[in-house]
Amino acid sequence: MTQDVVPPAVHGRGKPPRKDGLAALAFLSPAIVTFLVFVLAPTAGVLYLSFYDWNLLSDGTFVGTDNFDRLVHDERLLHVYGSTAYMALAILAVNVVVGLLLAVLLETRMPRWLRGFFRLSFLFPFVVSASAVALIWRFLLNKDLGLVNYVLGVIGLDRIDWLGSSAWAPVSVIVVNSWKTIGFSILVYIAGLQAIPDVLREAAIVDGANAWTRFWRITFPMLSPTIFFLVVINTINSFQIFAEPRVLTQGGPGDASRTIVEYLYDRAFGDFDLGYASAIGITFMLVLIALTAIQFRLSRRWTFYE
Amino acid sequence: MKTPLRKIALLCAAALAVIPSAACSNDDSDSSAGDKALDIVYWNYGPAAESGNKATADAFMAANPGTKVTLTPVTGENWGTYYANVATLIASGKRPDVMVISGEGAQFVHANNLVKPINDYLDKDADAKTLTGDIAPGLIDGFTVKGDVITLTYGWNDMVVYYNTAVFKKAGLEPPKADWTWADFEATAKKLTKDTNGDGKTDQYGFTWASNEIFPGIMPWVANAGGNLTSDDVCSATADTPQVNKAVAYLENLIKTGVSPAPMPMSDVFTRFQNGQIAMFGAGRWPIATFLPKFKDFDIQLYPKGDTYKTVFGGAGYPILKSSKNPDLAWEYQKFTVSTDIEKQYVGTADKPGDSIPSRRSLAQTISKVGVPPANSDLYYDSIDKYPTLVPYPAPAKYSAFESTVLRHLQLIFAGEKSVSDGLKDMQAELSSIVTC
Repeated sequence: MTQDVVPPAVHGRGKPPRKDGLAALAFLSPAIVTFLVFVLAPTAGVLYLSFYDWNLLSDGTFVGTDNFDRLVHDERLLHVYGSTAYMALAILAVNVVVGLLLAVLLETRMPRWLRGFFRLSFLFPFVVSASAVALIWRFLLNKDLGLVNYVLGVIGLDRIDWLGSSAWAPVSVIVVNSWKTIGFSILVYIAGLQAIPDVLREAAIVDGANAWTRFWRITFPMLSPTIFFLVVINTINSFQIFAEPRVLTQGGPGDASRTIVEYLYDRAFGDFDLGYASAIGITFMLVLIALTAIQFRLSRRWTFYE
Repeated sequence: MKTPLRKIALLCAAALAVIPSAACSNDDSDSSAGDKALDIVYWNYGPAAESGNKATADAFMAANPGTKVTLTPVTGENWGTYYANVATLIASGKRPDVMVISGEGAQFVHANNLVKPINDYLDKDADAKTLTGDIAPGLIDGFTVKGDVITLTYGWNDMVVYYNTAVFKKAGLEPPKADWTWADFEATAKKLTKDTNGDGKTDQYGFTWASNEIFPGIMPWVANAGGNLTSDDVCSATADTPQVNKAVAYLENLIKTGVSPAPMPMSDVFTRFQNGQIAMFGAGRWPIATFLPKFKDFDIQLYPKGDTYKTVFGGAGYPILKSSKNPDLAWEYQKFTVSTDIEKQYVGTADKPGDSIPSRRSLAQTISKVGVPPANSDLYYDSIDKYPTLVPYPAPAKYSAFESTVLRHLQLIFAGEKSVSDGLKDMQAELSSIVTC
């Protein structure tokens, strides 16, 4: 029995066949529909609401750009932007820098079981609910009855008002959020580290390069796309934190640990000021897009692709 | 603005996560569809709310064959966020017949024209007279806004002091008396504040209050100083009066002198109280559902008298919404929630106590008889029947904004970052645009 052998289609730079295009569209359709329904449509809805004064229950009133004008005169919003940026940049730094350090340490020689234990330990908080994590930390960080201050007392240190003082409340949010999220950064770093061909490191060793030189000349450049990915993702995620400040400090004292998302939520579902909350949401989205665009622009200078 | 477009915008924007349990619980097709169908929205604060509402709905359907009650649980971290989530639900097209509200929501639902007052039913329904005769007048007045009675109250809470009887006994202290004063209270709290493990640091505190709620937080102290956070008509803020200053300064002093720890959320207070780290705290009847049946070393007493004594209270009910297609049936349901069998649920048993005080006096007085702790349970209803000066919990129409503003300024005061007078002045300035009519 003979069988016709059909050679695979060779696609050059030209237009793909129509059949392939449809197949690609079919495969992409779940993602496209998800994006349209869960991202684009809500964004369009928020943009629409931002031009209205609406309290959910009454008929809305078109107010033009009034909600955006209010943003400029909202002193609390400016303060909250400041506290959000402070906490977000610190969380970003911890994830990117400490995450890399821990990932490199986890990739050094150690017994297999110990490596598994550390990996699990770092990743576990990431898969637990943020609210549950924050509740436990709230208990531990209580100024007068918490375990953390008890331990500090044992070693002769004074109690710290982790959740109640303007200086320490943001620090607590940074610590708890970083503790929860760093496992993801470590996981991505480990994948990036394992993708670096051993032959490069071995060649460097043969050439007499020490560990420091190998890190800066081989590991870091080869890992730069991973670092860039984590910088972008962690920037967006850390600016959007909500659960930790909500549960740990209720954004306080005052607005010391309040984030933009929390402030937006309170305007929408506390004050029933949907229009203004939407204006905050739209401008916040633009700020994040601008930050991401700057990161992409700057990345050309330090990101190395094979 | 055309409604459909607004709804689409809302559905997109409020998107998906805010009230998942509510949004997914059922659809409009079976709500208010028939002559004998009711759609009821309630705050799903925990398993007790779910089982209690289900039991009431099942009993109503059994007592009224052919009726269909659909329950829609709505989540929320507190009453304020529950109302916000219900508002979102209504804005997205849901038309419930009945929604559970607390006193905090009376002004809100009235100001937004959401409820059908029950004055006519009270006038015409013979059963209503019997029921209201068994309910303390304060509980009816607490749900009356500008002459409109919003709902019958099925359950309520007054603020009382909980004390750990084992900690009192260990300290050699007698249980507090109902006529104790602020000075007595402070002296007692000081005696209960101790370094139990000898490390030089306090690890047992005399008293604390909830940092995340006003009702069991500063309100009883403000009321007993003779003040309130709003005017009686809840149309203007009164947060920087000498009386409020006096109450907040008293509490601040308890922290400064080390008698109270830094305030913490109510759920943390419950845990610390049960393990003996906190000897006294203030709340309504709801903690006993958490404490029992495992923890029984507690009793209650009235808040200590300041310049006066006033009972601070708040109730809850099932008002009829204007969107109801079956208001008469909804009224029957509301009456049913204060019927003897249902009120017995709020009495509960020693192992499974109710989490609020039954609104009907005759049922509330059975709490101690059926052996539901604490021993001093008769005090709950006595506090509204025998003490004529009542302060309904202040709840302006913009309740959620009001509460968050008060708590935010109190955080700064109790953290020692603002003086009491400056903090209350700032609070008053901000509240003046929130508490309006």
